[in-house]
Amino acid sequence: MAIGRQASFSGAPEAGFLAVREVCKEYEGRRILRQVSLSLAAGDFLVLFGPNGAGKSTLLGIISTLISPSSGRVEVGGRDVSQDPERYKRRLGMISHHCLLYDHMTALENLLFYGGLYGVADRRQRAEELLRAVGLHRRRHSPVAGFSRGMRQRLSIARALINDPDLLLLDEPFSGLDQHAAVGLQEQLANLHGRRRTLIMVTHQIERGLALATRVAILAAGRLVFYAARPQVTAADFKNLYQELVGAPPGASGAEKR
Amino acid sequence: MNLFWLLVHKDLRAELRRPEAVVSMVFFGFLLLVLLNVALPPGARLAPESAAGVLWVAISFAAVLGLGKTMSREKDNRCIDGLLLSPVSAETLFAAKLTANFALIAASELSIVPLFFVLYGDTFFRAPAVLAGVIILATGGMAATGTLFSALTAGTTRNEALLPLLFYPIVMPLLAITVKVTGMIFQGEPLAQYVSWLYVMGAYALIFTGAGMLLMRPVLRQ
Repeated sequence: MAIGRQASFSGAPEAGFLAVREVCKEYEGRRILRQVSLSLAAGDFLVLFGPNGAGKSTLLGIISTLISPSSGRVEVGGRDVSQDPERYKRRLGMISHHCLLYDHMTALENLLFYGGLYGVADRRQRAEELLRAVGLHRRRHSPVAGFSRGMRQRLSIARALINDPDLLLLDEPFSGLDQHAAVGLQEQLANLHGRRRTLIMVTHQIERGLALATRVAILAAGRLVFYAARPQVTAADFKNLYQELVGAPPGASGAEKR
Repeated sequence: MNLFWLLVHKDLRAELRRPEAVVSMVFFGFLLLVLLNVALPPGARLAPESAAGVLWVAISFAAVLGLGKTMSREKDNRCIDGLLLSPVSAETLFAAKLTANFALIAASELSIVPLFFVLYGDTFFRAPAVLAGVIILATGGMAATGTLFSALTAGTTRNEALLPLLFYPIVMPLLAITVKVTGMIFQGEPLAQYVSWLYVMGAYALIFTGAGMLLMRPVLRQ
């Protein structure tokens, strides 16, 4: 199915779980995001594509409350998240470019600490379950300082899931993972989605992203240039569309980082 | 364990496992006390106010080495983002960092103060309970000011150089009063002579604790 730009673009917020309303971000005179609006229903899995510097991580940062928008707002359940950020954060998990883990602590101690921050009941049991799920249970008493990048990424996934979040934000979660761990993460994300969690993922991996998504979006130069429900888009169509809107899709030349 | 103690426990455990801050604070304090002692002519005795100055130069210079540590540890792996993403309030975070900084300075003082009396003479050792009170008030004021400015400078690339530049001008009135009061204790003056200064020191610590609680949220957002 060929998808035209005008026919498929629909970023206007509707009633739903999460709404990003006309968010703009300027930094040192540079416009990072321009009037970005989108909405998600509970249980949606939005995958956000776009070239480096398009503003994808900034948008995730604004949704997470780590970054303040220059204008516009983020609403969850119709409420502006800046009105009661602590309540919103209890429902939120995030995997970012950095692992957000303390090197001097062991894997288990890190999860127990974060579990404590979120007031997780029986956090030891939860931490042990997650360590098993990410394949780090045997290394649970090892300090994070000795972990490889892939192990840190897996522990970071466990950290983000410690509070069983309703909304999970993932910024290139597959980076640093070997094939086995990437498949494991893909299964975990599909499992979370199956439990009606809402997910927003930034990735450069088109096939993997499309396999998981219920909605897809493309951000280019700070604008949302494409936003559609996943069933409307085939992988081949999407790659063509991406090329039309942005340029060569990631990995097309083999130069993009996977 | 509530959020406050969870954060304090995490910072103190980090210091216990790798005691970089306390070791450098104690070593620097010792070095200052020894060097200033060597600079004195043999057999010379310091006036009580000068001795108080020596003690507080050693403590305050040592303190600034450790003050930035609890906040700069959060920069590794962007752990500060993990805290900001969690439902912990900025006020709780400030209170926890202040407590951890207070504990670090107090730990260094446990070594620096006894060495001071060894090197400069136990004739200054008077009214230990009042002296302990003065040390606690001054440490509270330094910890509150230092915690606020360490949060301000943590996001900068040269935070360790910037922190003393911001910290000392602000903490100078507190240090001046502390030296004055400590000198009076060394001289054996009665409590009634300097009790009003103790209220000022307490007020300083409370004002900067309150300012830190109010300003921590906008500071962290920056």
